[in-house]
Amino acid sequence: MISVSHLTRTYGSVKALDDVSFEVAKGEVVGLLGPNGAGKTTAMRILTGFLPATSGAVSVAGFDVMNRSLEVRRRIGYLPESVPLYRELRVEEMLGFHSRLHRMPRALARQRIPEVLELVGVRERSRDLVGNLSRGLRQRVGLAVALLPDPEVLILDEPTSGLDPLQRIEVRSILLDLAQKHTVLVSSHILPEIEAVCPRVIIVHKGRIAADGTRGELVARLAGGSHVRIEAVLGKDAGSAARLLGSIAGVSSVRDCGKAGIHQQFELVCETDLREEAGALASMRGWALRELSWRAPTLEQIFARFAIGQDEPLPVAAAPAAAPAAVHTAPERVEIDLGRATAVPASKAAPAPAPEKQIYSLNPFDRGAQRDLSRPVSKDDPPAPPAGPKPD
Amino acid sequence: MRGFGAIYRRELAALFLGPLAWTLLCIALLLNGYLFLIYLRGSGGDVDLALRFSLGESFVFWALCVLFPPLLTMRMLSEESRTGMLEYLLTAPVSDVAVICGKFAAALSFMGILWGSVFVYAGVLAWQGAPIDWGVVCASWLGAVLCSALFCGTGLWTSSLTGTPVVAAFAAVVINLVIVLLPLLAGLSGVTALAIASETVDVPSHLRSAFVFGVIDTAYVVFFLAWSAFFLFLSTRALEARRWR
Repeated sequence: MISVSHLTRTYGSVKALDDVSFEVAKGEVVGLLGPNGAGKTTAMRILTGFLPATSGAVSVAGFDVMNRSLEVRRRIGYLPESVPLYRELRVEEMLGFHSRLHRMPRALARQRIPEVLELVGVRERSRDLVGNLSRGLRQRVGLAVALLPDPEVLILDEPTSGLDPLQRIEVRSILLDLAQKHTVLVSSHILPEIEAVCPRVIIVHKGRIAADGTRGELVARLAGGSHVRIEAVLGKDAGSAARLLGSIAGVSSVRDCGKAGIHQQFELVCETDLREEAGALASMRGWALRELSWRAPTLEQIFARFAIGQDEPLPVAAAPAAAPAAVHTAPERVEIDLGRATAVPASKAAPAPAPEKQIYSLNPFDRGAQRDLSRPVSKDDPPAPPAGPKPD
Repeated sequence: MRGFGAIYRRELAALFLGPLAWTLLCIALLLNGYLFLIYLRGSGGDVDLALRFSLGESFVFWALCVLFPPLLTMRMLSEESRTGMLEYLLTAPVSDVAVICGKFAAALSFMGILWGSVFVYAGVLAWQGAPIDWGVVCASWLGAVLCSALFCGTGLWTSSLTGTPVVAAFAAVVINLVIVLLPLLAGLSGVTALAIASETVDVPSHLRSAFVFGVIDTAYVVFFLAWSAFFLFLSTRALEARRWR
């Protein structure tokens, strides 16, 4: 539906877009992601025919945007970032004006205007002046304007910017509705937005495409996969535990994250959520579990990697936010094959040098008054002298 | 010219929904009406002479011609580019030419309504029994409208060049003044080139020598239309150049 090849656009000496190529198939919903000034808006303006490209070929619905501009414009619903609307018109008049620009038959327009107003939820405000509406409502009217001629392609530039969280959720749900009928290209620098709406993401950075793919692909390719974190009291079992955990089907490697107090920590690198398997193993072996969590890197972390320019894999320790999404994709439960445990080579466990762990002791009598109170207790501290009277 | 009608309607509505058009109309009608009365008295009841003064000869006519079109057109493109409406219009299925022409036609229609007040004067006088030569009235009106078209063209052009309406209006007024005062400037400076130029583009005398006497000289009609079209062409190009920057 949208085809961009070797698109370059310069403003004077500044390269806003540099050799950008991508395709969007019919019915696809694609998020254009990038920090401010990455070239998202420029790309969208070129797609809609508002700006000419310096070089490269862009076509929408099979029409070249430069030479067959009017054909392209007829098939596009575009919501610019600034949400341009005539403030002195009423909501329905604004839509009426747009229907005349699109040469919609009057009967069709009369039927369609209440429809789209209903869809974006401003039906009861249709007699209000656009200038009197709040930012969020105006955003919706802008969306209604873009939707009015039922375009094949929807191009939305930051449709949720400047909205409060509630309005954001509403706009997001509208977008999800639209995704079923239209080809949609949405830009945003707000990642959860894109993550929630778009199956496919194109990350633009400094005028170039840094990454292109589905969320899962990007996560797998760029962030070194997701993992299950397990923290348990292993007792004497600690040595073989890593090997046992590594034997769970689907675990590609096990990271030993050292000890926190009496709890041993491991991270099982795997594609899918294997918490149940790890939990079953733990209960079978009688380990006292303290933590069992599924952690996948968020798009935000992948994105930050491009924006900040980090090259090493991301620390995926934080934010177990994306877990529910992965539950859908998790395959049928895999049976743990304990018999394989002994067969797994020890090298698979690959224990990393345990980082320094710091423990804050909640016991007020721990290590008595000799302890340096300005810093936390470390496991390397000299053993505590016999403490004072034991609390009873 | 797809979308011309929609743009025209919306611009005309915008003019009359704002206070500016009504203010301008009020000032012009008060001034014109009062002056017409004075001309009528001064000419000893000669209606033709009074009409001629009203639509071409008087200083006030030229002042309105130079000042009003820029005030009407100043916001049409400059403000749209500033508020982002231009992005909306130019991504809608309408051509640049239709956008420019629609806006131009709206401004010109307003001027037509403004000069149309002479029909009311003439009508009232006819009702009172004065002999009115309707041909002269219509030709004078046409001349005034054609002359306004030229000035709407310059106004639209300056509006397409800048993002500030006031700057657009000021620049257009200066250009219009130069156009109107060119014969005077040529006479004062005594430069031959300027004298030749002023003879070719002598807007005031084109109006005075033909239209106000009821003569519709096609050469002069073409003159006004061609110059208006020239400025509209420049505006379209300026609109296009905006995107390249």
